[in-house]
Amino acid sequence: MTTVRSAGVAVWRAGLARHSWSLGVWLLLSALLVWYATLIPVFGQFQITSISKNSLPLVYLAIGQAIIVIAGGIDLSLGALLLLTNALAARFMDDQPFAMVLFIAIILIAGLGVLNALVGYIISVSGVPDIVVTLATGYIWSGFALWILPSPGGGTAPEFRWLFTGAQSGIGGTYVMPILMMMVPAILVFLLSRHTRIGLSIYAIGSDSVAARLAGLDVRRAKVSSYAIGGAMAALAGLATVALTGTGDPRFSVGANATLNSVAAVVLGGVALVGGTGLVLGAVAAGVILIMLNPILSAMGIDPNNAQIIQGMLIAGVMMVGGLVTLLRERSA
Amino acid sequence: MSQSPQPSQAGATEAAPAGFAARAASIVSERPTLALTGILAVLVLVTGLIEPNYLSVSGARNTLLQAAPLGILAGAQTILMLTGGIDLSVTMVATGSAYVAANQSPEGAVIAILLGIVVGLAVGSANGVGVAVFRVNPLIMTLAMSGILLGLFTAWAQTILQGSTQMGPFIKLIGGGSFLGNRIPYSVVVWALIAGGLIWLLRRTGWGRLLYAIGDNEIAVRLAGVRVWQVRITAYIVAGVLGSISGILLGGRTGAVDLQLANAFLLPSVAAAVIGGTSIFGGVGGYAGTILGALILSVLNSMLTFLNVGQAIQQVVYGTIVLALAWGYAGLTRRA
Repeated sequence: MTTVRSAGVAVWRAGLARHSWSLGVWLLLSALLVWYATLIPVFGQFQITSISKNSLPLVYLAIGQAIIVIAGGIDLSLGALLLLTNALAARFMDDQPFAMVLFIAIILIAGLGVLNALVGYIISVSGVPDIVVTLATGYIWSGFALWILPSPGGGTAPEFRWLFTGAQSGIGGTYVMPILMMMVPAILVFLLSRHTRIGLSIYAIGSDSVAARLAGLDVRRAKVSSYAIGGAMAALAGLATVALTGTGDPRFSVGANATLNSVAAVVLGGVALVGGTGLVLGAVAAGVILIMLNPILSAMGIDPNNAQIIQGMLIAGVMMVGGLVTLLRERSA
Repeated sequence: MSQSPQPSQAGATEAAPAGFAARAASIVSERPTLALTGILAVLVLVTGLIEPNYLSVSGARNTLLQAAPLGILAGAQTILMLTGGIDLSVTMVATGSAYVAANQSPEGAVIAILLGIVVGLAVGSANGVGVAVFRVNPLIMTLAMSGILLGLFTAWAQTILQGSTQMGPFIKLIGGGSFLGNRIPYSVVVWALIAGGLIWLLRRTGWGRLLYAIGDNEIAVRLAGVRVWQVRITAYIVAGVLGSISGILLGGRTGAVDLQLANAFLLPSVAAAVIGGTSIFGGVGGYAGTILGALILSVLNSMLTFLNVGQAIQQVVYGTIVLALAWGYAGLTRRA
């Protein structure tokens, strides 16, 4: 009995050590929240709602990017997939009843999942690096987005806006819905990645794809699955964008920024770009942190341009410290 | 991918064409630049069919004017990709350098250009230290740097860099002017000099060979006694300077400078190097292929402009062709 318990404790301790980075990111998020609460005179439902709903698109992209990066890939087209969903949703959800809007949403999530699975398949078959293929497909998807919605416009059902923002007008509302919409997909994908056959094979191919193949895993299937999840999450991000803004915006730069932020969130969240390590939940916390920096810095009276500088320095600084720590650990070992 | 890339199946007997096809395939896969030149020729001809005026001295001049800044940016990507790195801040370096050069243009061309290049030196050094000493993933380091630069220059545009956003006459001449009866752009001469220099560095110097070696097997290079971090830092500095030069040429071509100047060149700069056969994982490639890649993308751009199909379809076609080229290239070289 005691040996079982101590073994359990040892497993927990090993898990904590291995995932200390993800844990640290959550602690950082909590600390930032507390700090933000002391910075402004009134901290309550409004601020929590605003932070949680504004982080939704980035958090979804970060979850998708995390799964793809864990599988040893990288997807520079996620932002373009967000644009494509945003454009499709705003164009076809406009003036539709809620049931129809939900139906369109489900079709989009499934469709984009299949679309990005195809991209994963192309990467796997062609032997062209992920970064190159997704760079090219990013052009294609944002072109389609522009074709479907040539200028900003369109709309969606008020109930659909409530689903993501907690208010039918998209303004105000309670934090229950945004937090629910953030955590349910996050926890689902997290459980999928840690406790299912396909999730574990995604970690395995990211860690060492040759060893995974020799162990009898279907490397291509795991790769394609990771891209499918990434595409579905990008679709969710696009849907959240349409719910947040109530409109569609097909500008290329929006997608490019979203992609870069998703990579930053993943890396800050402790998912190394070499693949095979890190947790989806770490990327979730990092995504919220990146969004939260803006209100925090403006509460501190720093103008938005400097906020961008600080955000960049924070990313570079955190990664430098991380690099230094590994370097010192290697030296001492 | 078992198809021959050459249209040589139409022979009389079964065996001869197969043998010829295999030989043609092996020639092409040994010399991928031949295939790239062929693609370039086809693209030029197709563009000529769409717009007959394109097949003229002025058409060639316009394409070269577009290709020169892109080719130089892609040169920065090429040397970094050879080491297994990448620079996503190179277009912000270009924009920033052009901004500084425009701001200092009243002080004279020499000072303007030199101060512009200082931007590249500084950013390249910072990127190099982050990647080589602190071992930050190059993608993240340069991505963060790009954000920092955008913030810095947006703020500086209101403060210390207030004033001129117009390039001086000399930079305008170098970036957009031509000589020999308006035939040969000056920027192409700059590009040719840089290209010669880069090819010489990569093929004939120890530094160039070390770039390939580090990209191939960094640990082996370190164990052989090379200070890898020094090579990496110098590579990022060279990339930064190339970014500066490209930005100044680009600013000279457009005349006026804004903070969006080089934004659209980021993905093409990576794509040009990849199409030209430089591996993003390092150790394989060279600048000659990148030159062809930059030319191909520029001709493609002209073609899509002449087609007048609108931004949306342009992006779709551009992405599709880049993907097809990269795929074809991977198929060709993998068989070899």
